[in-house]
Amino acid sequence: MEKVIEIKELTKIYKNGRGIQNLSLDIYKGDIFGFLGPNGSGKTTAMKIMTGLMKADSGTVKLFGYNIVDEYEKAMERVGCIIETAESYPYLTAYENLKLFSRYYKNIDDNRINEVLELTGLLRYQNEKAKNFSLGMKQRLGLSAAILSKPDLVILDEPLNGLDVEGMIEIRKLIKRLAETEKTTFFISSHLIHDVELTCTRIGILYEGKLLNVDYMQNILSNYATLENYFISEVDKNGRI
Amino acid sequence: MGGYKATIINELEKMYKKKKMIVILIISIAVILIGKLISFGMSTVGVGVFKESTIFPISVLSVLSITPLPLFTTLVAIDLFAGEFSHNTMKITLTRPVSRFKIFSAKVTVIAIFVLINLLSVMFLSTVAGLICNFSSISFIGIIRIVISYIVTLLPIMVFALVVVFFSNIFKSGTAVFFLSVMLYLISFIMGKILSPYSSLFITSMLDWYIHWVSGVTLIPKITREFLIMLGYGIMFFTAGYYLFDKRDL
Repeated sequence: MEKVIEIKELTKIYKNGRGIQNLSLDIYKGDIFGFLGPNGSGKTTAMKIMTGLMKADSGTVKLFGYNIVDEYEKAMERVGCIIETAESYPYLTAYENLKLFSRYYKNIDDNRINEVLELTGLLRYQNEKAKNFSLGMKQRLGLSAAILSKPDLVILDEPLNGLDVEGMIEIRKLIKRLAETEKTTFFISSHLIHDVELTCTRIGILYEGKLLNVDYMQNILSNYATLENYFISEVDKNGRI
Repeated sequence: MGGYKATIINELEKMYKKKKMIVILIISIAVILIGKLISFGMSTVGVGVFKESTIFPISVLSVLSITPLPLFTTLVAIDLFAGEFSHNTMKITLTRPVSRFKIFSAKVTVIAIFVLINLLSVMFLSTVAGLICNFSSISFIGIIRIVISYIVTLLPIMVFALVVVFFSNIFKSGTAVFFLSVMLYLISFIMGKILSPYSSLFITSMLDWYIHWVSGVTLIPKITREFLIMLGYGIMFFTAGYYLFDKRDL
């Protein structure tokens, strides 16, 4: 299977002693990988390093075989992402925001912009400025930007933040559909265990900056009643609860 | 080159949509109008420096190059760097398939485009205003002098902009960068006057270097020396600014 993400011994320690330590992980094509962990466990730090927003103290990250530090443009060419919060330019409309992002990619026309706006349920708000959007609508706009270029890898940090139940179901369906029909690989971090259980096919548990375990959802659910039970068991096994 | 070009277009569009460019142009035009009104007043009391149509644009430039333009350029440079960092919108561009060097270069290019548009707009309007009042004094040499004066002013303004960009990559707050830039500008301006033998070391004393270009006597050695000093400052601050921009964690 093709490796989409290759992380080797990644370490980043902040002045307060938190961060990530010796994180090694491989993500394969078609995976919907759920990165689970409590607040402050290092999920966002890992994702920031993966997308070049932050430099690691040591270790390497390769996306599609390209090192994120040395070959940034090639590594990010087929990647879409939301890191920490879904940002947009508040003084621009939803359409104008996506038009701006589209200039960095080839073959994205107005039809594609309208298509992603429809997929995320924003088509009727396309001419409204982002500053008037609710948190959920901003999240949808961030998702539109992340999938605009039809990326092969989508990295999403807490993608369901601010969404109502209907929105969560829609986005979950969208992720599954893209993974099935276009073989898009997803790397999703979340603290919403139930949603991760319903969406992801593979799970990694991060606790206090260390990757405790990685396993397929199918295996997990054949051994545990819920993902939550597995999470508690893994953390407990490592003597941290 | 694709990412560099896309960033330039995007930054220009963002600037236009924020309407800052329009506000700044309006203020620049207001400077011309106020200057023209003053010149009318001075002409009536017998001070003749504004009587020639081609002198008026140069007198506008002498005001524009030391106060409004450095101020506007500072605001634009802060908006493009510290502003984007503090509003968390920098990561929108940084997570696209374009290197940080291209993003940094594109943003500096946009500042240069802004300064050039401002200079050319003021040049055009002040020349027209000068001609309306005294059409008979127009001369080809006079027009060439005006164009050269405005074009060469781009260089010292850009060097100052690079100093602001450098500070924008050190501090998170745009307000802190603004006050620091204004303070440094004032200190440099005063030091340039006090230590006049060493004034060529201060960038603020080069804001009026267009005078060497249009004075009757050819001052090639002086122009070359000042050009090389500005180039040196420019390269230093561009490199230092880029280094900080590239190393910055978000």
